[in-house]
Amino acid sequence: MDQLPLILVWLTLLGYVAGAVTGLLCLRAGKVANVGAFGCAALSSLSGIVASVSALATGARDAHQPVQLLPALIPNIQFTIRLDPLGLFFTLIVSLVGLALSLYSLGYVRSFHGRKNIGVFGAFFNAMLLATTLVFLADHAVFFLVVWEIMALTTYFLVSFEHEKEEARNAGVLYFVMSHIGTGCLILGFLLLFQASGGYGFEGFHAVGAKMAAGPRNAAFILFLVGFGIKAGIVPLHIWLPVAHPAAPSNVSALMSGVIIKTGIYGLARVWFDFMGPPPNWWGVTVLAIGTISAVLGVLYALMEHDLKRLLAYHSIENIGIILMGLGAALMFLHTGHPLLASLALIAGLYHTINHAVFKALLFLGAGAVVHATHTRNMEEMGGLVKRMPKTAFFFLMGAVAISALPPLNGFVSEWLTYQSLLQGFGTTSSLVRLMLPLSGAMLALTGALAAACFVKAFGITFLAQPRSEHAAHAAEAPPTMLLGQGVLTAACVFLGLFPTQFLKLLDPVTQQLAGAQLSTRLSLAGGLVLSGATATGGTVSTAGLVLMALCLLPVPLGLWLVFARGTRVRRGPTWDCGLQGLTPRMEYTATGFSKPIRMIFKALFRPRREVQREYDFSPYFAKNLRFESHVEEVFQTRIYRPLNWLVWRVSRRMRALQAGSLQAYLIYIFVTLLLLLLFAL
Amino acid sequence: MNTALSSIIASQLIALLAALMLVVQLLLVAQRMLLTSIRLFALQSLFLAGIAAVVAYFHGAFHVYVVVALTLTGKVLFLPWLLDRQVRRMRIVQEIEPLVNFPTSMLICGGLTLLGYLVARPFTSLERLGNNTLAVAITLVLTGFFLMINRRKAITQVLALLTVENGVMLAAVALTTYGMPLVVELGIFFDVLVGVMILGILVYRIRETFASMDVSKLSQLKG
Amino acid sequence: MKPDALAIILQTGLLLLVAPLVSGVIKQGKARLQNRRGPPAWQPYLDLLKLLRKDMVVSEHASWVFSFAPYVIFLTALLAGLLVPTITLQAPLSLFGGVLALVGLLALGRFFLALGGLDPGSAFGGMGSSREMTIAAIAEPALMLAIFTVAISAGSTDLSRIVAATQGPAWSLLNPMHVLAFAGLFVVLLAETGRIPVDNPATHLELTMIHEAMLLEYSGRNLALMEWGASIKQLVLMTLLVNVFFPFGLAAGTAPAELGLGLLAYLAKLFLLAGIVVLVETTNAKLRLFRVPDLLSAAFVLAALALFSTFLFQ
Repeated sequence: MDQLPLILVWLTLLGYVAGAVTGLLCLRAGKVANVGAFGCAALSSLSGIVASVSALATGARDAHQPVQLLPALIPNIQFTIRLDPLGLFFTLIVSLVGLALSLYSLGYVRSFHGRKNIGVFGAFFNAMLLATTLVFLADHAVFFLVVWEIMALTTYFLVSFEHEKEEARNAGVLYFVMSHIGTGCLILGFLLLFQASGGYGFEGFHAVGAKMAAGPRNAAFILFLVGFGIKAGIVPLHIWLPVAHPAAPSNVSALMSGVIIKTGIYGLARVWFDFMGPPPNWWGVTVLAIGTISAVLGVLYALMEHDLKRLLAYHSIENIGIILMGLGAALMFLHTGHPLLASLALIAGLYHTINHAVFKALLFLGAGAVVHATHTRNMEEMGGLVKRMPKTAFFFLMGAVAISALPPLNGFVSEWLTYQSLLQGFGTTSSLVRLMLPLSGAMLALTGALAAACFVKAFGITFLAQPRSEHAAHAAEAPPTMLLGQGVLTAACVFLGLFPTQFLKLLDPVTQQLAGAQLSTRLSLAGGLVLSGATATGGTVSTAGLVLMALCLLPVPLGLWLVFARGTRVRRGPTWDCGLQGLTPRMEYTATGFSKPIRMIFKALFRPRREVQREYDFSPYFAKNLRFESHVEEVFQTRIYRPLNWLVWRVSRRMRALQAGSLQAYLIYIFVTLLLLLLFAL
Repeated sequence: MNTALSSIIASQLIALLAALMLVVQLLLVAQRMLLTSIRLFALQSLFLAGIAAVVAYFHGAFHVYVVVALTLTGKVLFLPWLLDRQVRRMRIVQEIEPLVNFPTSMLICGGLTLLGYLVARPFTSLERLGNNTLAVAITLVLTGFFLMINRRKAITQVLALLTVENGVMLAAVALTTYGMPLVVELGIFFDVLVGVMILGILVYRIRETFASMDVSKLSQLKG
Repeated sequence: MKPDALAIILQTGLLLLVAPLVSGVIKQGKARLQNRRGPPAWQPYLDLLKLLRKDMVVSEHASWVFSFAPYVIFLTALLAGLLVPTITLQAPLSLFGGVLALVGLLALGRFFLALGGLDPGSAFGGMGSSREMTIAAIAEPALMLAIFTVAISAGSTDLSRIVAATQGPAWSLLNPMHVLAFAGLFVVLLAETGRIPVDNPATHLELTMIHEAMLLEYSGRNLALMEWGASIKQLVLMTLLVNVFFPFGLAAGTAPAELGLGLLAYLAKLFLLAGIVVLVETTNAKLRLFRVPDLLSAAFVLAALALFSTFLFQ
């Protein structure tokens, strides 16, 4: 019985391998490859879900010894995995999202028929899931880096899968470059840890930070923050994210935004809470500040987008920010010696991690279905889809409510936990930094409200009112498998939103491992109906209770209807058009118009430019032709990356002198370097 | 009423009035109508007089009553009347766009307040009356300076100077339990009074000469 | 702690009945200050009755979201109202959520309100939605910071506990934190309930309306639910203000005499606050849309000052 999770994990890993192999074997038979590869992926992720849930539910401690996956071919490098709680929790995330995505892909990749090779796609998809799962389970630094790179590579291939589009190629390259800078930082970081522990095994790294001197320890902190931060997409390292995520096919976008960026969060949690020992104060403060900035800037840039998938990608930055707020607060509380509060903050962060994975994947799948049906990502050409794609619209609306942190869905619950930990943490210290807690709470409130504004725009402009283009007018509902994938994630959103106390039990072993406290019994009141803020007086919330209560109150408006409005008729009529000759879609509010007030209020950040050209006969108010252009400056690109890019170019030009073009010259370089190294070693 | 309770009430009242002075100062920063600004200043001075009165009453320090009377006549009635008349004579109603826009200057003032509280923190144990009056006093001085830098009309700059002076007075009244020696207070008071009257005349002259109150025009005076 | 069915029913009834009255009183007060006779204070009841009895015209472009929104708005406002203590110290539903849930519920209502505005495809609705969401977004930090200040000093986000914690002699309420947080929240109240200087509830001028623009396509019982929901939301926010900052006269027990006194005190406080709203509305002009951030940033700084002034010295 104890071995069940391990067996299931083996099944999962082998299943992904089988899926990849099936895909490669059926290169010529698209339909078979589709069913084979994604069927395997679905079954494997199902087994992954069962494995992680069963292991976490029985309170997986460190009881599970490292398991050798492959025989050690090279000394000092072992391909071992270990089923520890943190890894299992993230395995649950990847498996849950993977299941929904595999189902969705069954229908989605049909659009590739004749255009693209589905077998290759399926193989990469499985390989990516395999690598991601292994990232979460790897127990050895070198093995971790190997699967980390495999994950990055497969992602790169999938981002540039539609390589006939220039956008996809550029996005792939940008992703590749940034990802490698990150990996470089990680290698340096692991080397620092190796110096202190004398091995590469994760077990040896446990609490190794306590043995390190302050200098290398802080250096490792920063290296890991940058290395994993690039993958997670924190501001200002985020620039690849809004480019790469939308360029990929939608099911891959969902996996990237839902899971791949979470590998960054996994790495940070692993390093900070498992390896680095008791944190100094400035770590937590820095992380909280970065999280807050990422959250606010992410959502502000999202508001400016009218490309549906880019908008969602920017929201990933926002949500990573919210997750980091939880982790940063946890670090602060660990510093002041409050394991209970640290656990609460950690739970908030981790719960938001799975929530974001679920609703972001759901939204990307919805966006994928919409793009599939309308052949555009530009929201200004959509509209009216709620009548043409009612089920997709419903699922997207649920996702929108969840990501806007509105009750009763899951985004609200994790933000509620974040607020609680921030507020309760205020009393733990009398130093000034505690003022940061409520202030970043206020910024979280701003983020939530802006996210709501953004999703009113995303849902309203995309799905409501009249269709704004021919394509949108003739859109058709997505095939059943695609709907099934979205349905699974919607169900997960509802479950995580209404029954958080049930789910939080799974987090007990994780917080025990990382912060040394278990909270789920304290967090649950009234038989699990009510979520409490961990202290007796802190505050309570019950999303399920609120829903029940709303149902109980429903007789009030219905009663009014029955008593007073009986016998009234409902007539359909045109929308008020100010007496003109009917309303056309061109008169509707646009996505750009919707976000204009925000653009004006935050103009110091956006530096909006607009150009208006009018052609008119007698008065500018009656233009015959009007061209309107509006741009927003992406501050990080123009202020940080462009100068950096320029610098690199200049340095490279200088370096060109070294590039002689003759083989002998290169051999001399290598030889001289070798000699120098040998001399250095003397 | 026993003495402990009455001293708690006194310190509550002082803290409250000081907070109100701070609120008025923020309103001044956010206000662009000159006449309203002048009234806000009068209100702030009224709160200052209130604090002085509370101190005087609870400590039976009669010379502080003099401060109260002087503040009331000078800063609540006379100076606002003077400035009001001048603004009306010059027929200018609105401040032009400040250097820093309003939301940002609000946030800057928030930051300055935080700074004021931080600076005042080590001295809290010295105070017996009102928990944060010193902090408020320092904040008034800081935001007053900021206001002077941020605005362009000479009248607003005079008002800002006056709020700086209010801050100094607040510190004088509240920090030292019995107020500063009366002579010093009178000195400050008349200094400022005369200063403002001269400034008022100057503003009028500037206006006459340049047909504007914009102090940035003064740069034309250099040789 | 357990939700008590009788209390819930009573409070629901109270909210439903008092909400239109407060709107009516504000209208009447404004009329009086402007030397008009104005409609009687109970006019909103008659309006609601009339609207409920009318036939509905639904736009042919609108979808189910349009007809669904009024129910969400109405129910979220009612639910939020059940989380606030009105005449007793204990809010009937405080186990199910505190002030964070209250803000969340109101935000849910606003989300659907804005969607309802976009659904019929009219430019006015879109404009209203866009402005409503913008103003709500910049009001949110001030609202939350003021609430945090109160919640931290009470050590809880549960409104019943917050109200219990602020109980005390009258002079203890006159501390700077209370005054500053109240001032901040009052500004937010004006913004959230669409009052002058942020929005003008009486205007139907096409380019200036915000809340009314979103309701433009609604009619009949849907409109009645929307209007009623909006007035309940206003009542909830006003209750939050009066009971958190002036928790006088709240009934501790459930004896009829206590409840009666509590009701009287509650109504008196509400009408006093309504009077202040009336004064502000008649003495101010509506701000241009892009001046509203000035006002709300002032509210944010006030809330931040409340936080500083309380906690830097502890």
